[in-house]
Amino acid sequence: MDWTALRLSLQLGALTVLLLLPIGIWAGRRLAYRDFPGKVVTEALVALPLVLPPTVFGYYLLVGFGAASPIGQVWQSLFDRPLVFTFEGLLVASVIFNLPFAIQPMQRGFEAIPREVREAAACCGMSPWRALMRIELPLAWPSILTAMVLSFAHTLGEFGIVLMVGGSIPGETKTIAIAIYDRVQAFDDMAAAQMSALLLAISLATIALTYGLSRRVGRQLG
Amino acid sequence: MDCRGGSDGSSAKVCRGLSVRLVQGTPIPLVATFACAPGEMLALVGPSGSGKSTILRTIAGLYRPKNGSVGVDREAWFDSEAGVWVPAHRRRAGLVFQSYALFPHLTALDNVTAALGHLSRGERRARAGQLLELVHLAGLEGRRPAELSGGQQQRVAVARALGREPKVLLLDEPFSAVDKATRQKLYRELAAMRQRLSMPVVLVTHDLDEALMLADRLSLLHHGRTLQDGSPLQVMQQPATLEAARLVGQRNLFDAIVLEHQAPPGFTLLRWCGRVLEADRNPVYPAGASVSWMIPSSHLVLHRRDRPSRGEHENPVPGVITECLALGETTSCALAVDGRAELSLAFSVPSHVAARNRLAVGETATVSLLASGIHLMPPEDSSRPVG
Amino acid sequence: MGVRFGWSQAPRRSIRAFAFGIMLAATAGWAAGAVAEELPTIAGAADLQFALTDVAKAFEAETGLEVKLAFGSSGNFARQIRQGAPFEMYLSADENYVLELNKDGFTRDDGALYAVGRIVIIVPHGSPLESDGTLGDLRAALEDGRVQKFAIANPEHAPYGRRAEEALRHAGLREAIQDRLVLGENVSQAAQFATSGSTDGGIIAYSLALSPKVSVLGTFELIPEEWHAPLRQRMVLLENAGNTAERFFAFVQEPEARSVMRRYGFVLPGEES
Repeated sequence: MDWTALRLSLQLGALTVLLLLPIGIWAGRRLAYRDFPGKVVTEALVALPLVLPPTVFGYYLLVGFGAASPIGQVWQSLFDRPLVFTFEGLLVASVIFNLPFAIQPMQRGFEAIPREVREAAACCGMSPWRALMRIELPLAWPSILTAMVLSFAHTLGEFGIVLMVGGSIPGETKTIAIAIYDRVQAFDDMAAAQMSALLLAISLATIALTYGLSRRVGRQLG
Repeated sequence: MDCRGGSDGSSAKVCRGLSVRLVQGTPIPLVATFACAPGEMLALVGPSGSGKSTILRTIAGLYRPKNGSVGVDREAWFDSEAGVWVPAHRRRAGLVFQSYALFPHLTALDNVTAALGHLSRGERRARAGQLLELVHLAGLEGRRPAELSGGQQQRVAVARALGREPKVLLLDEPFSAVDKATRQKLYRELAAMRQRLSMPVVLVTHDLDEALMLADRLSLLHHGRTLQDGSPLQVMQQPATLEAARLVGQRNLFDAIVLEHQAPPGFTLLRWCGRVLEADRNPVYPAGASVSWMIPSSHLVLHRRDRPSRGEHENPVPGVITECLALGETTSCALAVDGRAELSLAFSVPSHVAARNRLAVGETATVSLLASGIHLMPPEDSSRPVG
Repeated sequence: MGVRFGWSQAPRRSIRAFAFGIMLAATAGWAAGAVAEELPTIAGAADLQFALTDVAKAFEAETGLEVKLAFGSSGNFARQIRQGAPFEMYLSADENYVLELNKDGFTRDDGALYAVGRIVIIVPHGSPLESDGTLGDLRAALEDGRVQKFAIANPEHAPYGRRAEEALRHAGLREAIQDRLVLGENVSQAAQFATSGSTDGGIIAYSLALSPKVSVLGTFELIPEEWHAPLRQRMVLLENAGNTAERFFAFVQEPEARSVMRRYGFVLPGEES
């Protein structure tokens, strides 16, 4: 069991979720409540990582953020480290790649709130922020939690992008998924089996929690 | 209603009570103007899709039309020319939604408390309790909307709207989803509550009878346009145009020619169906002009078979009964004038009267058209309404 | 506002647990990250999987210093180094990669030769193939259809794969075996494929075959070194190499490390026959 890799994965998952929480709520709400020109394109872009092969994404990340790119060079001069092959680079990739897992469930959650209920909140004198905190979030929380749980689990399992952009550097970018791959190549079956079992358990727990929560959404507003 | 020109120099007329003026072509056509004094109830009536709900939402601040103004008690909530737009949460408009729109995750008490942000924390629960008592829901404060009946939910919605201490109370078809018995009860309660309300109340409904029962004034809408404004009885019995007449359900609509206007206190004489009708004097239409006219069923009197009638000789019209439907305590009939099926007078009598006079399809009968009921309107193709 | 949230309906426990878990994970991760920061990362060619691990253990035993090892194909590492990967030392299985990197300014100097490698043919137990170093049996197996799949490392970026390809070409089997080849991303993965039973065998690094974990899985035989270009394995310190990396670089050339390498079948500089 590669504890460093496990902690790295947990940290990556946790930070991804923390960053995606405000992003997801903001984007999910906007997409749920408003119709604007280009909305379909925006929704397609958000959904893109669902169908895009991770290696394609990894390739564009390397091109866009690598040492030779403008962004990469700015980053290097600011932080004295490259963006690729670092934990920060993985975090950036992870946040982008998990956008649909965060935004889509939250969007559904906000869409499920009847428009008149939100309008009633305004008529009661609640400012948009108050209405968000007192009415919308309590009603949409199962979807928000689903989004967070899905993003967390998905990050734990992310492999292709991490491999391409991270470089399997122990303690920096060698996540538990990479570690499993690495242990198999090193003929260390026991470690590989242990870590695989752990990830399997986490995935099952995620699915169970997600399904349980989506039933709750139905009951909440029914 | 108390109106004076805007003292702040804005172009909108700002009055006591509610004043609304909306003009918009797309996406929803609106050409509506009306006003409502404090303590008065205005009914916005019209078929589905006539824009009533949109207007209500505009008053509440949930919809922003391109042009127009909405003002309450000298406060401009919306003025397109001056660029004024007060968002919904800063207006004091109490809106009772058609679907009640209660917050599903809060109890009845908390739903009402949600509107009491302007009170201190300590006062809120007490006041919410009072409001729920006012709508006869004491004891049910702890229930969630899912645990309340339709009528109870509606009362919570009303209590919540009132909690805001609104400057105008807006009711969007509040009785449409409720069964008849509850509806009757709610009518009485609303009527009683109105005596204590000092704000303008706007009621949106497609049910004319409801408007007649509850409202002081009625604004008739069709395709987003205000057709007529006045007391409910006025609009019902003296519609300004044929279109309005059809909308308020008048069935006896005919054409005629003005013969002459007798000197007061005489009548206006009309030629119709080869006979001369005497109508209440109305010199607006010159002699020789074509007009439309209508008469409400309430102003048609059946000549009784068994004894001669007194005072029923105004405009007697004989004919053949073509329709005789017993609908509970009332019988609805149609009389083909002079036996001509295309000229049909609709009227209703209590069922026992129908029985006594042996009204049946094919029987002859005579009805009198009371002069006071004959109401003149511009002819079919005229676009100029007469107020 | 005195409105109760309505969160009483939510299983507060599960939200709290999840949030707590996330915080814990984040802080634990920071701690782990902070500690790991100090250790240099050494990029080693895949054939050094076991040998270098043992050398690093010996290094720690002697100096008390730790290093982080990353294994992969030499070509891959060279590419990553060009893209700014933060390795401090690079042990390649092909000295050309090192020399190119030096020419392009990514390294301190041109490094040092640390070993010469060999390739073997390996077959898992129960395979229809025999571990014949002259590849004679392989030729026969290709003709009578005994062999379905045969593993080597990807010649594009793995030196051991290129050598395997050269050996096959020398034996005249390159064309015949083309559609039965399974390419490992590096020679470690090739060894994995070759011994797992999912292929009938493969050509891998001698150093991997000698390690106890691999040797139990099958039988192997050396392939004559004249059949391919020599596997001159060169290591180099990279630009950002720190103190520990420098000491490790020196350690690899010392007798203790050399004897470890010898155990894994490497021929050492100065001892070539």
